[in-house]
Amino acid sequence: MILKKELDMSRNEGLENLGSEERRHFLKMGLVVTGLFAGGTLLSLSSGARRVFASSGEFAEKYPYKPHYSMLIHVDRCIDCERCKKACAKTNHVPDYGYRTTILERDVSGALAGKREFVPVLCNHCNLPQCTRVCPTRATYKDPVNGIVQMNKSKCIGCLTCQMGCPYNARYFNEEQMAVDKCSFCWESRLSKGEALTACAEACPAGVRIFGDLSDPNDKVYRGIHQIEKTVWVLRPEAGTKPNIFYTRG
Amino acid sequence: MKNVTIICLLLAGVALVAGSATAGDHGGDIHFTRPVEAVLFSHDIHVDQLGFDCDSCHDGLFEYEAGAAEQNGDFTMESLYGGGYCGACHDGETAFASDTRCATCHEGVKGYNRALGKTETAASHH
Repeated sequence: MILKKELDMSRNEGLENLGSEERRHFLKMGLVVTGLFAGGTLLSLSSGARRVFASSGEFAEKYPYKPHYSMLIHVDRCIDCERCKKACAKTNHVPDYGYRTTILERDVSGALAGKREFVPVLCNHCNLPQCTRVCPTRATYKDPVNGIVQMNKSKCIGCLTCQMGCPYNARYFNEEQMAVDKCSFCWESRLSKGEALTACAEACPAGVRIFGDLSDPNDKVYRGIHQIEKTVWVLRPEAGTKPNIFYTRG
Repeated sequence: MKNVTIICLLLAGVALVAGSATAGDHGGDIHFTRPVEAVLFSHDIHVDQLGFDCDSCHDGLFEYEAGAAEQNGDFTMESLYGGGYCGACHDGETAFASDTRCATCHEGVKGYNRALGKTETAASHH
């Protein structure tokens, strides 16, 4: 039995050297391979439950909102055409100095991935949002029914504490409104009017952004996350905010 | 006179699409901006590094004119999957398939802006 400390000090040789068959074998046991060491003779594993679900303790049955809005982002499909960003700006009157959603770019050297990867980001509508905790006027709050992290702009005093609390850089100060603005999953502009999708999800030509209801086992977001074929992850899990934006490839 | 104007516009269009290409005896970098922004085709890679000759693509697949393909209504991923345009080679056998490794060819708005020498507008809260 190798000590975790020793493992941490060893060089991770990269998962691309591990056959998909073997990886799948572990996944079926509910384990995710996180590292490859010593010429492939040692593997580090973590619980698949922890990786796949933002709320590891509660696992599958506990999604506290109805509907529990969520987005699954197929990150390798993103081509940075930015139609999502344009649709969002148009729908929600976002000025060009700010964003409710944007696309990050990073270099990747993975064998199959190509040279770059585009990563769409937006408010994660966390189950344990830090932004709402630190707001002194409760201008930002988590909707008790659908879980959307909302802004009551008449209460916002522009102190920007929420920006500092947010691990996802998902808030900007709207100078015209004299208040912080952020993604609301298009609640005011679309969902509350009966639309099923956010503007960004509808505008995507590549099927990157899958929007839906995590509390419904028949929903494609639920099915996309609750499977064992592909790894699903969240950004910055160490922040502990239980985000509702999930990422996958393929 | 009218014809001269049209030719000038055409030339300007070609120069614009070809961008800052350092074309030697080939077309340099071609940035396709329709139907989505943007896709980079590198003559450098395909001609100089991989050794294809002009006829490989400019014999029915693409005209000798940057931007011509984009004028066609069928310049879509669907056409590529059916073996049209880039899909003639990018079929999973000759070269990687058109429905894989998206960001290898799609440089995006960011890549295109870099090619044009534009810097991104910084978001206010940085």
